[in-house]
Amino acid sequence: MGDSSRLTLLSVPSSALGGAPEPVRDTLEYFEPEAVVVPGPRDPQVAATVRSQCPEIPVVHPQLSRGGSPVECYRYTPETGVERADTAPSAGGLDVLAVQQVGALPELRRQLERGERETGGTATLVVVPELSVEWDTTTLSTTLPGRDELARIGAVLSGPVTVLAGGQPAGYSHEWSLSHEGSSVSLRMAGLGATTQGGATFAQLTCTAAGTVAAETVDADQFGLTSLTGVGPATAARLRERGCATTADVRDTAVGDLVTLPGVGRTTAERMHAHADVIETGEPLVLTNREPVKTRENRPPLCLDIETDGLAPTIIWQFGVYDPAVDRYEAFLETESPDDPAAVLERFITWLLAEHSDRTVLTWNGNGFDYPVIEQFLRGYLPGYLDAWEGLWTEDLYEWAVRDGNALLPGRTNKLDHVARALGYEDADTGLTGAQTAAAYREFIRQPETSLDWDRHRAYCRDDCVALWHVYEAITGARRRDVTDSGRGGARGQQTGLTDFQS
Amino acid sequence: MSDHSDTTNGRLDGQTLVETFPRTSLTADSGSVETVSLPAEPAEQVPADAVLRPGLAASYPYDLFSHQATALDALEAGENVAVATSTSSGKTHVYGLQIARALLDAGVLTPDGSRATERNEAATALCVYPTKALTNDQQTALETLYDRLGLDIRVRVYDGDTTGDRRAIREEADVILTNFAGLNVYLEHHDRWSRFYSALDLVAVDESHSYTGIQGMHVAWILRRMRRVADYWGGDPQYVLTSATIGNPGEHSATLVDEPVTVVDEDGSPSGRRDIVLWNPPPQSQGETETATDDANGSSDSPDDSESVVERVPASVEAPRVFDHLTAHEVRTLLFCPSRKLTELAVRRAAEHRRSNPRAGYGRSPEHEAYNAGLGRRTRHSREHQFKTGALTGLATTSALELGIDIGGLDATVLMGYPGQRQSFWQRVGRAGREGHDSLGVLVADHRTLDQYVVTNPDYLLETDVEDAVVDTSNNSVFATHLLCAADEIAVDESDLGVLAEEDRLRTAVGMWREAGFVDGYVEGGVHYCGPRRPQTRVNLYGNSETDYELRLADGVDTGRWGLPDDLDLEPVTPNRAFRDYHEGAVRLKNGQQFEVVTVDDDRPQPGIELEPVDRDYYTRTRKSINVLDATSETERTVNGFTLHFGHGTVLVDHHSYDKVSVQTNEPREQLLPTENPPIPMETQMCWVEVPDRVETALVRKYREYGVETGVDPDDADPPHLGYVAGLHAAEHATIGTAPLELRVDKDDLGGLATLVLDTHYTREGYEPLAGSVGESMEAATRALERRTARLDEQPSSGWFIYDGVEGGLGFARALYENFEALAERARERLRHCGCDRPNGCPACTFDENCGNNNQPLLRASAVDVLDHLLGDGDTPAAADETGTDGNRPTIFYS
Repeated sequence: MGDSSRLTLLSVPSSALGGAPEPVRDTLEYFEPEAVVVPGPRDPQVAATVRSQCPEIPVVHPQLSRGGSPVECYRYTPETGVERADTAPSAGGLDVLAVQQVGALPELRRQLERGERETGGTATLVVVPELSVEWDTTTLSTTLPGRDELARIGAVLSGPVTVLAGGQPAGYSHEWSLSHEGSSVSLRMAGLGATTQGGATFAQLTCTAAGTVAAETVDADQFGLTSLTGVGPATAARLRERGCATTADVRDTAVGDLVTLPGVGRTTAERMHAHADVIETGEPLVLTNREPVKTRENRPPLCLDIETDGLAPTIIWQFGVYDPAVDRYEAFLETESPDDPAAVLERFITWLLAEHSDRTVLTWNGNGFDYPVIEQFLRGYLPGYLDAWEGLWTEDLYEWAVRDGNALLPGRTNKLDHVARALGYEDADTGLTGAQTAAAYREFIRQPETSLDWDRHRAYCRDDCVALWHVYEAITGARRRDVTDSGRGGARGQQTGLTDFQS
Repeated sequence: MSDHSDTTNGRLDGQTLVETFPRTSLTADSGSVETVSLPAEPAEQVPADAVLRPGLAASYPYDLFSHQATALDALEAGENVAVATSTSSGKTHVYGLQIARALLDAGVLTPDGSRATERNEAATALCVYPTKALTNDQQTALETLYDRLGLDIRVRVYDGDTTGDRRAIREEADVILTNFAGLNVYLEHHDRWSRFYSALDLVAVDESHSYTGIQGMHVAWILRRMRRVADYWGGDPQYVLTSATIGNPGEHSATLVDEPVTVVDEDGSPSGRRDIVLWNPPPQSQGETETATDDANGSSDSPDDSESVVERVPASVEAPRVFDHLTAHEVRTLLFCPSRKLTELAVRRAAEHRRSNPRAGYGRSPEHEAYNAGLGRRTRHSREHQFKTGALTGLATTSALELGIDIGGLDATVLMGYPGQRQSFWQRVGRAGREGHDSLGVLVADHRTLDQYVVTNPDYLLETDVEDAVVDTSNNSVFATHLLCAADEIAVDESDLGVLAEEDRLRTAVGMWREAGFVDGYVEGGVHYCGPRRPQTRVNLYGNSETDYELRLADGVDTGRWGLPDDLDLEPVTPNRAFRDYHEGAVRLKNGQQFEVVTVDDDRPQPGIELEPVDRDYYTRTRKSINVLDATSETERTVNGFTLHFGHGTVLVDHHSYDKVSVQTNEPREQLLPTENPPIPMETQMCWVEVPDRVETALVRKYREYGVETGVDPDDADPPHLGYVAGLHAAEHATIGTAPLELRVDKDDLGGLATLVLDTHYTREGYEPLAGSVGESMEAATRALERRTARLDEQPSSGWFIYDGVEGGLGFARALYENFEALAERARERLRHCGCDRPNGCPACTFDENCGNNNQPLLRASAVDVLDHLLGDGDTPAAADETGTDGNRPTIFYS
């Protein structure tokens, strides 16, 4: 899968997994990883469950210390995939060094120092299944367990070293600067999500030869039976008791049978069944006769996406607009003066008002983020345009489809790229995540003399705009079924909601 | 003394109260009751047109009190103002009129008071109140004012109870009234408030004296976050703080708002005559209770026994009787009780008093109810309303009604025990006698240190200087939590350095959160929050931890049988409180119904406590023991050879057992039942005293013969040191007990530990930190200290710790460190002059109801000697020729 230098690792924290194996199978099918890591406490049961679901790829769970060694080594090359590697490597590829626990880091370090363990010299991932950063708010300090050993390991290895810390949240990314013998060793650390903070998640980590790690997280309950609208852990357990273990099984069960489950009414059963069908087929289903957005003269909406420097933005540094009517993409970026939010904003708003004031603007979760942020910046920097902006027709496809429950979509999260991918959209594969683009721009704010790979960031934003058009088309062209009450709020509360959004 | 004896119109003066009270043991000449009569004060006024613009002055129907005039002039001059004057002195009108002026000046209102514009983008005001009840009350007050002035000003409440169109309030209100818990949360979505904040030019903080200790710290940070948000949108507010009289209104206000503040405290409002009755309950009749400690006989120092063991009827028993007496005479009365539990008990006891005095001429059945924040909102509202309309004549309340909620006119207040501070005493007493009418305040004294001090020194109450309110922003835990919120609201960047916090502190905290994974980015490029949603929910104004315990009924409770509503409508409790009051087996009284805790479930994100209704003839009281570990000195100074330290360390608090206490007699029936709870380690601030070796040696020698006088059987202790360590223990209690005389501190916010082996509690070279390794068990901690004692190669210091009873500290220990001499002097006076004349003291001088050692051993004389030496008044000890007599000292410490 993918580019030669990229390794995809799926993290399945033992605590995120209930008793059933189906969610694992479902997750593996969805992500198609090269290997699976099971971080968190030693758990033979979960490790065995995962192994049984993917006999063809390695399951990294060094907590068990198979063969008595506290260190397990793997190597990835595009040709071979991930393999156990206890012999000397050839050049290239990525090395994965997994230790049983923090206490085994000295052993790994000794092996590396003595040359008993060699790496290919490109990039190395060090998996520490339960490592988490401790913090003390009284002294405003943190403690990184195994800090000195990690520094020494970083110093021995030649290529970039990334520590995968089991106990840190998935999505965690920090560049540690550790001192070793008077010099500074830089270690990137990413999280594997075996933490109670923020709920149970699975994470797919895309690791590159340059040492970067991009995390895509999905709530654990989006896999298996609980991915269905209206199915929580209790209903899932009852379904399993009746031999209904997968979403496919639910689809093959009559609605009339589902209704006999305790606490499941006709409406819920119909939605559950319909959702199972949507997930299995990848075909969305619209539950209303109304149109998702109003447009003028049947002209398609402009698909808008913005990029900021974080969730409390100091600048909207990119506005991307895809116009499906002419298949054209327009981008407005601030590539020179990150301390001046007004300039790029003015270029965008004047263009929009001059060229397209009669068009509907469409976003994904714009009511939750893009629109209030744009309004906030207009109010702060260009208040003269506020009224004109408020006069535009702005629509939010996410709100219509998901929050208001007007459609059932096959994605595992409500993030645009997940939904689009599930609907067959082939993305441009920029290798970026929203969090990474924001982080990159923050670095640019910090050091404006450096330059970003603007084309890549432009491509990322374009991708989202075009993906939105893809989803819009999929929804407008979808099957329709008026499942009883399909009005506003029909499915509210059963979708994951805003937590999925990271700008 | 009064020469009135008028009981008409529901009023009763002090003398009449004493004369009509139906009892034999208490008479006016028993010496237990003293009445202080405070004369009426005339008003000092200024014509309204001397201050206000003509249009406003013409429609304002009163002259201004002089303090209102001064405050309005200062506001006009662009200053921030703290108005610290008496209850009902018209403080609301200060900001009320300022708001009116601003709206007229900004052109939002036309000179005739109608609206010039629908959308006010020029002058908005935010008014923040300590409680929702007060918020609603003040909305009415402001609306009444603006009606009278003929001004079309939109005053809106926006808080957790607000229903309806919240967006419309944000978009349209001129004045928004809320509380700090709400403001803390609303700051997150400040973009929805952009209109309001961009026009914000006044922030009123009402009853600001109530923000002390933990709440004060949170409020100070919420106000700093609010200012960032206002600044972001272009608002630049002035502040008005209204406060009851406190010792340091300027300093306190300036710390809260982080800007200079002008103090206005010359009160120009009038007051009626006020009788203050200091009511020391009579001695217990024989058999009414057993005395806790009457083993003082046999000592050579023991005075006349008949004098020494005076145990008075507790205030918790006596005050409800007075309360009932007053309400039976149609005197509208508030009874202030120190705890929620006692409000419930007081109502029972008042009813009992009514029943058992059939010949007192009391009327119908009693019309009193309990009122406290543990009752749900609906119940509270209903009782407020019933009192206001006269359906209830009395409310037994906690401090919940101390603030200015309008419950209608009030004639008398009864205080069950001294509330701990003069400020609070006057605030409570000041609730009665609105609009210049005569009023009555009765302090029913308890037998604690402070109460007895106050009733025997009434002048203390009348001194002008009241306690300081302490707000300390140096608590890093609280700061760190608010930093997450700030980063969530607006990215933290270089413009925050030195503004939100000092540069180093801010960078350090950002670094910690970035490494821990809660924020992204650097100050130079903007720091953004990236942790679990809504960091604002980590802020707990009433405590310092994240998760409150939800109270709910146990499964299978037959609500019908108990006459309970399906929804218990009880407020959640903080973890500290949960550990203290809600262990399994605890019996709590709620709204007249007893509940027993059947399950405590703290193993999930929303911890819960399951209650079962029961009918028991006891309630439960929890006992604790404590230890201090890893004390680290940050600063020290020397006083007459004593070394005082301020620093931080870990306090291990173990609510290990509880007693079952009879509802009827207040006496324990079963004691030391285990709670099965583990100790809670608390990292906090502390100060401590090291006694110099020469003083210690001399006093050990002087008191080496003392044993049973300390309240302890010498066979169970180590005699050579007992007399001395009992003095340290007593000095520790006395310094904590008198701290509220100096600071606005709840004594529950402080704790202490006296020890002969101070050094073993320290961090120092060769000592591994203990908190991490032995924090799970009090026994392990004690053993670790014993091992250290055994290994000591030089004589350790003795002394005592005083610590802040909240994670991260509150600033009290620091304030005590700075004012230790004044504190020592108060404590010494109390110990020396207490009327109990018992060597080990009494609840009025040495006893502390929170003592983990059952108030043993204690010795007044050696405590006075220790404090004498500290204050430079000690006899110079003889030359140290007794070296070696000390021997191996025991590892003992007493909390």
